[in-house]
Amino acid sequence: MAVLSFRLASRELRSGVRGFRIFLACLALGVAAIAAAGSTAEAFRHGLSSQAREILGGDLYVSVENRDFSPAERAAFDGLGTTTYTAAARAMAEAPGGDRRLVSLRGVDGRFPLAGTVKIDGAPDLKTALADRDGVPGAAVEPALLDRLHLKLGDRFTAGPVTLRAGAVLVSEPDGLSRGFALGPRVLVRREVLERSGLLAPGGLSGRAVRIALPAGQDPRVVGKAVQARFPDAGFEVRDRLDAAPGARRLIDQLEYFLGFIGLASLVAGGLGVAGAVGAYLATREPSIAVLKALGADGALIRNLYLIQISLLAALGVAIGLVVGAAAPLILGRFAGSSLPIPALFAVYPLPLAKAGLFGLLAAAAFSLIPLARARSTPPSALFRRSLGGRVPLGLETLGAALAGAGLAALAVATAPTPMAAAIMIAGVAVSFALLWALGRAAAWGAGKVRRLVGGPARLGLANLAGPRSAARTASPAIGLGVALLACVVLIQSALLAQITTTAPRTAPAMVFTEIPGAQAAAFDAEVAQAMGPLTPETYLRLPFVTGRISGLKGQPVDKDRIKPGQRWAFDNDIGMTLLPGAPPSNQDGDGKTVAGQWWTPGYSGPPLLTLNAELADGAGLKVGDTVTLTILGRDIEARIAVLRRIEFGGFGPNFNVVLNARALEGADLRNVAIARLGKAQEAALTRRLGDSFPGVNVISVREQLDAAAGLFDRLALAVRGAAAVAGLAGLLVLAGAIAAGARARAREAATLKVLGATRGQILAAYAIEYGAVGLIAGAAGVALGFAAAWPVVVKVFEARWSVDWGGVMILLAGAAGLSMAGGLLAAALALSQRPAPVLRAD
Amino acid sequence: MAEGSTSVLALEAVTLTLPSAAGPVNILRGVDLAVSPGERLAVIGPSGSGKSSLIAVGAGLEQPTSGVVRLFGQDLARLDEDGRARLRRGRAALVFQAFHLLPNMTAEENVATPLEIAGAKDALSTARQWLDRVGLSARLTHYPHQLSGGEQQRVALARALAARPALLFADEPTGNLDAKTAAVVADLMFALVAEVGAALVMVTHDPVLAERADRLVRMGDGRIEG
Repeated sequence: MAVLSFRLASRELRSGVRGFRIFLACLALGVAAIAAAGSTAEAFRHGLSSQAREILGGDLYVSVENRDFSPAERAAFDGLGTTTYTAAARAMAEAPGGDRRLVSLRGVDGRFPLAGTVKIDGAPDLKTALADRDGVPGAAVEPALLDRLHLKLGDRFTAGPVTLRAGAVLVSEPDGLSRGFALGPRVLVRREVLERSGLLAPGGLSGRAVRIALPAGQDPRVVGKAVQARFPDAGFEVRDRLDAAPGARRLIDQLEYFLGFIGLASLVAGGLGVAGAVGAYLATREPSIAVLKALGADGALIRNLYLIQISLLAALGVAIGLVVGAAAPLILGRFAGSSLPIPALFAVYPLPLAKAGLFGLLAAAAFSLIPLARARSTPPSALFRRSLGGRVPLGLETLGAALAGAGLAALAVATAPTPMAAAIMIAGVAVSFALLWALGRAAAWGAGKVRRLVGGPARLGLANLAGPRSAARTASPAIGLGVALLACVVLIQSALLAQITTTAPRTAPAMVFTEIPGAQAAAFDAEVAQAMGPLTPETYLRLPFVTGRISGLKGQPVDKDRIKPGQRWAFDNDIGMTLLPGAPPSNQDGDGKTVAGQWWTPGYSGPPLLTLNAELADGAGLKVGDTVTLTILGRDIEARIAVLRRIEFGGFGPNFNVVLNARALEGADLRNVAIARLGKAQEAALTRRLGDSFPGVNVISVREQLDAAAGLFDRLALAVRGAAAVAGLAGLLVLAGAIAAGARARAREAATLKVLGATRGQILAAYAIEYGAVGLIAGAAGVALGFAAAWPVVVKVFEARWSVDWGGVMILLAGAAGLSMAGGLLAAALALSQRPAPVLRAD
Repeated sequence: MAEGSTSVLALEAVTLTLPSAAGPVNILRGVDLAVSPGERLAVIGPSGSGKSSLIAVGAGLEQPTSGVVRLFGQDLARLDEDGRARLRRGRAALVFQAFHLLPNMTAEENVATPLEIAGAKDALSTARQWLDRVGLSARLTHYPHQLSGGEQQRVALARALAARPALLFADEPTGNLDAKTAAVVADLMFALVAEVGAALVMVTHDPVLAERADRLVRMGDGRIEG
């Protein structure tokens, strides 16, 4: 049987793969997208691994906040290998002309860096750049600072209390990727310069780190654990080169999954193209199948014969996709390799290709086996009358299709970084697909009813829409799915961008001031009032500020494993806290809502009380009345939870995860932070003014940060939309498939219409109506589904305000209808290009 | 029924009703018919009288709505579609008005296919011999679209008879051919049927062709009229 099946299949395949172009294109597109996403992510992962030592700056990294390492700690580190110590702080940089800007200062010692090199311009080496000249220490500064302060190399500027000389342009630091986001341009100085400056004094926001090069053969992970075990209460953050840039690694995982998901959605959308192409091909083979059955062939032989052909073609489609998917990152690396923010080793990686291939084969099986089942059941009586297009029989094929579909979903979930999110996304795609499929059928049914009410080309268009080969049934689910994905991406991005550019500037403060000395707080208020006018709770808020660590819960040390992963960060690091005499006025609390408990009254002087962010409380299983141990300024304070509240961090209010009662830290000299709402001109004036009166106060322009974020987001948005367009392309391929499958029938129809006296214009109009309606229906449904998918992401996941980019939505709708209509006109043009007589004779 | 046990084909009170948009259509309305081994039967009648459906039901390509169809003594109602296909293998063959050659196969492959399906070892060489018998030894590797109508029907005849079946169904075998070619094909068909000893059930509009049969059955409105 198998030999005969192969022999007959090879005879059938001699007619070529012309009818399978769309089949091949649909499979290749989805597989290529998944393979390219996986290969690119793998290239980044290998790049990160190969440069892990440079990225971390050594084999082991230990950091501590707001204090220096103790002599015992230093001795322990120095005993492990070669060490280099760095310190970091923030300060306001000021040019002689009065221009000011917050900078991230970093002090390095003579052994820095232990791995890789610091790239600088304008000086022969780092040592020369940072050396004193005329008693003024040198600094390597990022170009952004030179631009902002209108400085050139050799010019002097101050950073807080220190005078520095711009000794070189800082191009890159080898460990830049592991250090993450900086609030201001980076400035590199010698460590002793920073130590002397006073910027590292306790109570401020500063940090120290040591990087250690271990002797060969030592496992950095084991050594790191030993360090933590030796100093369990030190508050160290310990990282090793095996996980040098966890943030970048997470980003790569998410990027791979997002792009892979788009590829998967393309495969599902393109699956209709696969099913359509297989169905159309098998429909042309219906007479042959009937003949073979009349000659004695049983159903199994028919199934095997066409299964072999489809399998071979699926393998070809997957292979094309894999070649394209493997080549795309190589091309990306060739043209953009040096400008990528993350190191990458572009090569052909078998694992992501195998995964993409498996996705492709499962999709091919899921979408091909149903038409195959229908073909196998073709009755031999089809030789006497056309098949009635019977129902799909239950059998091996339907079981195989169901298993392949389930396998596709399971593989997508199993290989995702967050399986639950993946499962929700896959379920969303499945539900959307089912809804779109039902809508397509409903549209065809509706067109059949409405056509009686109209005449001329509209009736013809609607009749075709209702007919057995209606594109509403075949192409509209695929187009709808593509539009839904694009709409979802567009709506999420536009809502988030609106949050950054419109909502946040309206609700968030324009400026943040840190490092305000507590003793001079009233004088600071007065200085601000000089620039802003009378201060009101709506425009200005100053609060005491202290950093501390949550070290115990309900009398027990924090066990991070018992805290939900999403909230673990707050129990892992020093966090900012404030103190309030009582409940903030409702207009200062932004959208912060008291969820449980009661605020202390002004003047309360009992045992320490605190309010806690309700999300953190939920993550740690805390409720009102529980005790929390805080380690602040070197001492432990046990406070009872009085209030749980929900905080909107973008709002204008005391948005701190922990708020203590005002007297909880009585006697401590706390620095203050302040936030203010003011215009751009006032902002510039105040920044300059504070340079004279409060040079030690750090000024952060939220507006500037938002502008920078909006710019970055905009660039990302374009790339993400481009990727999502792949799914839209799959929809268009299915439309092209539907047009190709119906080309012969269209030519016959057009010829008959011409014979009956229809003009070219009438025929074109009929086709434009038919396909335009398909695009419009699919587009509208896709947009609706896009809304349904985007809303929870924006409102629940990002907790942003819902806003709709109606312009983008309209463009999508018009694009879907327009492209679909163009497809219809193309179908009409192809049909009309043939002379009627030969077409009718051939029939 | 004694007749059924000695007949290659027996139809007893067979009806066939098919659904249509305008309601059920009665195609066959109680047909009784028996065909003996080696007998040559012609079925004539106007278009729509049910002639082709008689062949479809008799060959097991279509299931009757009611009645019994026995092919080689087997009640077709007791067999599923695959069972009916296996029953036809090598024993019952069909020739159609529209030839129904497999378009992607050459002439010799078309003839060899039913032999291969029946499990014959030397299918291709047998196919070549049969194509030689029908005068197409020079057309072995030609595809159906490269052959004339008469040539295609001769390939179809070779394909039908190569396995030496006991029964040949022929549905308007010369209906698509000009008179001269039709005569050639008819001569060939009768000669080959006689040679292999097969019974023949032939539907035709052509009275001259019908005259060559041993027995003639006239159909009208789904019934055998005589």
